[in-house]
Amino acid sequence: MSKLSLRGKQSSGKINNWVEPSFGELLGGVNRTLKKGPLSGESKTNRWPSTGDQTEKQSRKRKVDPHVSNNQISVPSEAYKLDQDEPWVDLHAPQSQAELAVHKKKIEEVESWLRVHLDKSKKGGAILLLTGPSGCGKTATVQVLAKDLGFHIQEWSNPSTTSQYKMEDLFTQSFDPDSRFNSFHGSSQTGLFQEFLLRANKYNRLQMSGEKLTEDRKIILIEEFPNQFYRQPVCLHDILRQFIKTSRCPLVLIVSDSLSGDKNSRHLFKDVLHELEIHNISFNPVAPTSMMKVLSRIVTIEVGKSSGRISVPDKAALDLLCSGSSGDIRSAINSLQFSSFTDKSLERRLWASKKGKSSSAKPAVRAKGRSKSSKSTDMQVESPAIGGKDASLFLFRALGKILYCKRESYDSSQAPKLPPHLTDHQRDKLLVDPELVIERSHMSGEFFNLYLHQNYPDFFTDVEDIARTSEYLSDADFLTAEWSSRSTMLEYGSSVATRGLMHSNSSRAKANCQSTTGFKPLHKPHWLHINKTYRENYLTAQSLFLNFCLTPVSLLTELVPYLAKLTNPMRNQAQIAFIQNVGHISQKRDPGRLRLEALGDKDSGILDADSENEETSAAQHLEPSTTPGNATTESNLSNSQDPPGELSASQPQPASSEALLDEEDLLIEDYDSD
Amino acid sequence: MSLWVDKYRPTSLVKLDYHKDQANHLKNLVQCGDFPHLLVYGPPGAGKKTRIMCLLRELYGPGVEKLRIEHQSITTPSRKKLEINTIASNYHLEVNPSDAGNSDRVVIQELIKTVAQSQQIQSSAQREFKVVLLTEVDRLTKDAQHALRRTMEKYMSTCRLILCCNSTSKVISPIRSRCLAVRVPLPSVEEVCSVLAGVCKKEGLLLPPELARQIAEKSGRNLRKALLMCEACRVQQYPFSPDQDIPVTDWEVYLRETANAIVSQQSPQRLLEVRARLYELLTHCIPPDVIMKGLVTELLSNCDGHLKAEVVQMAAYYEHRLQLGNKAIYHLEAFVAKFMAIYKKFMEDGLDNFMF
Repeated sequence: MSKLSLRGKQSSGKINNWVEPSFGELLGGVNRTLKKGPLSGESKTNRWPSTGDQTEKQSRKRKVDPHVSNNQISVPSEAYKLDQDEPWVDLHAPQSQAELAVHKKKIEEVESWLRVHLDKSKKGGAILLLTGPSGCGKTATVQVLAKDLGFHIQEWSNPSTTSQYKMEDLFTQSFDPDSRFNSFHGSSQTGLFQEFLLRANKYNRLQMSGEKLTEDRKIILIEEFPNQFYRQPVCLHDILRQFIKTSRCPLVLIVSDSLSGDKNSRHLFKDVLHELEIHNISFNPVAPTSMMKVLSRIVTIEVGKSSGRISVPDKAALDLLCSGSSGDIRSAINSLQFSSFTDKSLERRLWASKKGKSSSAKPAVRAKGRSKSSKSTDMQVESPAIGGKDASLFLFRALGKILYCKRESYDSSQAPKLPPHLTDHQRDKLLVDPELVIERSHMSGEFFNLYLHQNYPDFFTDVEDIARTSEYLSDADFLTAEWSSRSTMLEYGSSVATRGLMHSNSSRAKANCQSTTGFKPLHKPHWLHINKTYRENYLTAQSLFLNFCLTPVSLLTELVPYLAKLTNPMRNQAQIAFIQNVGHISQKRDPGRLRLEALGDKDSGILDADSENEETSAAQHLEPSTTPGNATTESNLSNSQDPPGELSASQPQPASSEALLDEEDLLIEDYDSD
Repeated sequence: MSLWVDKYRPTSLVKLDYHKDQANHLKNLVQCGDFPHLLVYGPPGAGKKTRIMCLLRELYGPGVEKLRIEHQSITTPSRKKLEINTIASNYHLEVNPSDAGNSDRVVIQELIKTVAQSQQIQSSAQREFKVVLLTEVDRLTKDAQHALRRTMEKYMSTCRLILCCNSTSKVISPIRSRCLAVRVPLPSVEEVCSVLAGVCKKEGLLLPPELARQIAEKSGRNLRKALLMCEACRVQQYPFSPDQDIPVTDWEVYLRETANAIVSQQSPQRLLEVRARLYELLTHCIPPDVIMKGLVTELLSNCDGHLKAEVVQMAAYYEHRLQLGNKAIYHLEAFVAKFMAIYKKFMEDGLDNFMF
């Protein structure tokens, strides 16, 4: 085989690889386990259903040239070439706690939990829930700890294809003579899941000859959940309840924060968190410093291995990668790998085309080749385009950014001064860009304004300021009043509201007077609920008292309140109830009767609603947010970790889970995920 | 036992208690055969609806009082289903098109079309037209009002419209010019008193004239309110005493307390409390503009003469916003906050002047 042809193959293999990391979520786990085999000598993860291995191979065949994959197993001498085909994420998966990019405290927390619950003397099961944005090292932590503590992981993976169901049947048949009867209903994902838990719990792994006998401890790891559970969380809860009662080994659930909308799998456990004593450890996005460490480690290793074929990204480029990945280390490594292979035609084409679009001024520099300086300028333009993750904010943080409005002090010498009569309006420079914050909060400006409106008075001390803010909010609503121009004006409206709010707060005008107010809890807006009740009552009144032939206004302001005062019979039950509810306003009632719903820092906002069908969509969307109590506890939990008062713009932003979805979109998504 | 308001509602034009001249005019109008579209307007509780029903009875006889409630469902061009409640007799159809919100145009066109296209069965015995009574015309969208203009002309031969509203200022002028405008003013205090006395007499009760006068004044000459108040007084205490407390609706009391809360303290915390109170009022179905109006009245009575002009101007500004905007709370709250700011400044200035 000539060298030329080999290289051709190689590059074709690489093309496949470059595509691959984008499906990291999907295939990453599969890849990882496979890779670990040859690297660490023995596979520690024991997959179930056992056909998992089959799938791995199948999927592997699909995505990688079989020739290459054969190479990989049979010819270890060509290690370098193979490595090149391998995503660096897998290649450089952390092997020890020191290599983990997760904060030490977090690792310790998980470790101590595992230590306690792996203890054989302790009876009963325990559940650990790891949450955090994608790519923050949840799974890696568990795997590294498995190695350190010497237990093995039994992992559930969703059976996904029909062929697999058949495999599954074969598998169960061969072990269980009764399975012929259950094979039909037993093949539902839920059933399989339940069975998996049961078996994983009951039976230990078979001891293969040659394996060490010490590893009898194990944990069950669940990273993906059968889709059915998203629709019927109760079903999962029941299974977990049963598990808790009978289990002998700890169960670790890993849930990413970045699932969209209220299909968020966090909601799966909200209700049972306390009941089942699920211990929740929430991971933060990887800090830039530790990510930097990991990236430079990888770079040095790769450069050493590659003997000059990989160009070394300099520090600035790495910095850019770090900030571009918003704390997602998987994405950071992927983009690092991508940007490191410079001498491939494909990539040049890709860059060139991007280049042409982004800055046509630099073609000369491009053409000159890859000197280091030009490299770094390229990186600055390109790397966000290639590997950059969409930075987005959780609503909680977005609100915090606006309400706490951090400012940066000018040098007093060069600061532009306002004329004397306008000195009231002198403000230091803002650290945040309000429009960007709104964009990243993934909400419509209208709803963002509602949230701001609900929460702003707490952050003001002066009535004058608050009057100005409320005026700006009123302006913002007024701007979007015209139905036909609303889509355009929405942006202006939210801009007016946020900037107006930030400017009006004169107690936060200067950079140094920021820390006076401590942490303030944020709440969900009442308006939608109020508006809904208003309309409902309005309609009810009209239909109940139709025979009075009154206009609604006089009906509600005159007739119903007086009916409440009259002891007039001849009313039916519904009317009496309505009069009791609406006609009476108890004077003594605490005005704060409206229960404030705290906004958790990971909560997604109320979804978008068109003003025309506002009442209906509000009704739909309020439902998920009315689960009592949980929001508060959740926010308490997470607030203790990172008070939003400490927000700084330099911190990486977590991926957000909000999406503006209509009911229809949600449905579509449902079917997709099947 | 029905309410006094309904029980003693006059049913024919001759039995009306006040505005007798106008009643005569209406009677003559009906008798001379041709009957134009009518636009009846006037403040609430003045007796617009009563007059309209009397007029219809004059036209068609007692058959008009056999009312039935119909639920009609109309599909808009955008496939949205609308449920509309109508009140109808054999001769007329009453509908409040503003129930349909933004789609009121469709409602108007569809309903009037169906009514107008069906002929009266015995045209010899009755009038050759039916009547469509539209209430709350001033709450119709501009779109619907323009549609109404066209419809009015088109079906003139088979259908007459009676439009009913509080103020003509929100009715577009083409409609105003196509209708005979009939203004029904509020009864005077004396007229209210005499009606109250008459009703009480029929009930076999003795109403002291002082109390009647008090009720009349307190109700703002709104006859419906006055009668309801009177009946509430009766529930409260029977042999009436002249200086008896007149029951006021809960929401009015609540609103007054809200205004007091605003005046007594101006701070962000107080604003939050006031917001909660506003929400409370809204959940009890008090429309935002009524809240605004009530607040302004209460606040004005509480503040100094120097401030009044400014407060009223502000109130007008935010009331306008309220009509145009989407979310009432922004504007209500902006008004409250603004008032707080002005009031606080005024008080502090006053304190300073007092000190020196």
